Amino acid sequence: MESFLINLLNGLSWGMLLFLISLGLTTVFGVLGILNFAHGSFFMLGAYLCMQIMHIMPSFWSGIILGPLVVALLGVVIERMLLRRVYGRDISFQLLLTFAILLVLDDAVRIIWGPGYHVVEPPALLSGVFTIFTRTYPVYRLFLVIAGPLVGLALWLFFQFSRWGKIIRAAAMDREMAEGIGIRVPLLFTAVFALGTWLAAFGGALAAPHQSLAPSMGERIIIESFIVVVCGGMGSFPGAFAGALILGLFESFGTVFLGSAQMAVPYILLAVVLLIRPYGFFGREV
Amino acid sequence: MQRRFITTLLISMALVSLVLAAPAWSAKTVKVGFVYIMSGPFSAYGQFAKKGAELAVDEINAAGGINGHQVEAYFEDSTGKPDVAIRVLRKLVFQEKVDFLIGLDSSGVANTVVPSIPQMKTPLIITHAATPDVTGKVCNRYVFRISVNLPQNVKAAAMLAAATDAKTWTTIGPDYAFGHQSWEYFEKYLKELKPEMAFLPKADVAFPPFKTTDFNPYINKIMQSGADGVLVSLWGGNLIDFVRQGQEMGFFDGKRQVLMTLGAATEVLSALGDKMPEGLWVGTRYWFLANSSQRNQDFVKAYFDRFNEYPSYNAHGAYGALYTYKAAAEKAGSVDKEKVIDALEGLTVELPVGEITIRPEDHQALSDVSWGQTAAHSNYPIRILNPVKLFKAEDVTPPVAESGCQK
Repeated sequence: MESFLINLLNGLSWGMLLFLISLGLTTVFGVLGILNFAHGSFFMLGAYLCMQIMHIMPSFWSGIILGPLVVALLGVVIERMLLRRVYGRDISFQLLLTFAILLVLDDAVRIIWGPGYHVVEPPALLSGVFTIFTRTYPVYRLFLVIAGPLVGLALWLFFQFSRWGKIIRAAAMDREMAEGIGIRVPLLFTAVFALGTWLAAFGGALAAPHQSLAPSMGERIIIESFIVVVCGGMGSFPGAFAGALILGLFESFGTVFLGSAQMAVPYILLAVVLLIRPYGFFGREV
Repeated sequence: MQRRFITTLLISMALVSLVLAAPAWSAKTVKVGFVYIMSGPFSAYGQFAKKGAELAVDEINAAGGINGHQVEAYFEDSTGKPDVAIRVLRKLVFQEKVDFLIGLDSSGVANTVVPSIPQMKTPLIITHAATPDVTGKVCNRYVFRISVNLPQNVKAAAMLAAATDAKTWTTIGPDYAFGHQSWEYFEKYLKELKPEMAFLPKADVAFPPFKTTDFNPYINKIMQSGADGVLVSLWGGNLIDFVRQGQEMGFFDGKRQVLMTLGAATEVLSALGDKMPEGLWVGTRYWFLANSSQRNQDFVKAYFDRFNEYPSYNAHGAYGALYTYKAAAEKAGSVDKEKVIDALEGLTVELPVGEITIRPEDHQALSDVSWGQTAAHSNYPIRILNPVKLFKAEDVTPPVAESGCQK
């Protein structure tokens, strides 16, 4: 029984982390129409900057608040100077550009912080363990299970009900019409890209106490977030939530029941979804 | 008029540069190519190797070089992929015309690359890749290894395991050849020592994929399995994540014996700091405090003074390989590739790790293997090993007949 609970918590905490990161990816795609390959690198930067800020101000909270903000600023610069030029162009331009950004960021991290491993300590409030029957479980992972949906809910409420949320959705639906009625679409796009980047970096900072930091740590995340976004429906919030949850739980329970086949689970899921329901669980035909 | 002036100028410039270059032509250098993983998530290992190599090159050149010639080092990035590794090896041999090759971190790359080495007719000393196959199934005349290989390290682990009172063993290792072979050899050697020992079946052991960052499901699986002995062959970032997450889950509560085949790697100990539990048996390929010889003390001091960190096993590997080449070239009296190979076979040389002898039949070096229990020490910022247990080379190295090497 306790083993089941532990696996459940594992799946939920990993799923929620994946949800936050995939949310950034799906928002950027939904609004800007850009598939950002470098999303995983922003995740990595969020983790590294959190670590670096903690060297100056030894509080995890300062790291997790300031780090993603700095990365979001970088996102603004990248959007204005680079991504702007490939809007509306062939998708291969976007893929090449974002892939190039990924390579540059990965190597930049390696040059600045060195190739070795770094670790980040969880904050005192969230470190330590609690007991489930006879087993212990880290408090920090429970925090992840809660933090993910909270942030996701806040964003969903923003997009559904606030004025700015509606403006963004309008610009996403029909860019020319939105510009026609006076919405400054380019500025909006920059803001949304910064938001997407912030989400990735925030996910990275959240993940930092949980795993060691090394260059190219975004590699796995980007593949899994792509799978979540495709399975959930590109541009869909509930889709990202459902997709991440399912993937997290499958991976967690898969290690128990599937043995070495567990590695194939994300890809099998992707293949099945693409065959049965190509627009994803919650996707709409565009 | 102007054309003649320019022609004269060009010809005199050419003559001058020929004259200036002449001294460089006459000074022959010994060229050594190093191939390690210099980029990506495992670039730490290439960086360590480069540091060890640079220290060796500077020391050797300051002492007069190899057979009187200065050493020139060329570093190439294998990126951990076999096709890239083959390409850079060929570049080193055919373009830079190196006299000797040193390198290879990844066992996967080594396995693929080693059969191509004889075509390049250049000797290669492997200093990190531990798969038994490169001095076994795919061994050949041109490939040597001076570092501790997988069977040697695992045999020492089996000997330690036999001395504990654990009755059922399981494993957690990376899901590729290294993890699976570590378990395979461990089972084999431990059964030989203690036939009544039990091992969990394939479905119950844990082989997380290499890119795993979340080990909780596997930790849970092992804790539920009822095994009281665990062989951990995870390494690098995987091991760091596993130890931290295992601590939180209560994995190290003393209910099970834990042996970590690569737990004493300095990059792991540095990253973990106090989070590495004390009293765990860990192994490595070179432990900087295991050997109290003057040779080792000089090496550790020189490395620390220059790089402000303790030498990892990969740094020692590259450093030791260059000194081994030097010894072989001196024994052969030349850097001719075939003569160096003949000199390497059966060569005994003193390295910081101790005295090693290269077995002529399979080109694997016989060197002592050190394991130790993790312990805190006020002089060092990382966990050190105390006590250190040294396993003699003869006790842990499989006989040639078992290696599968037929040259």
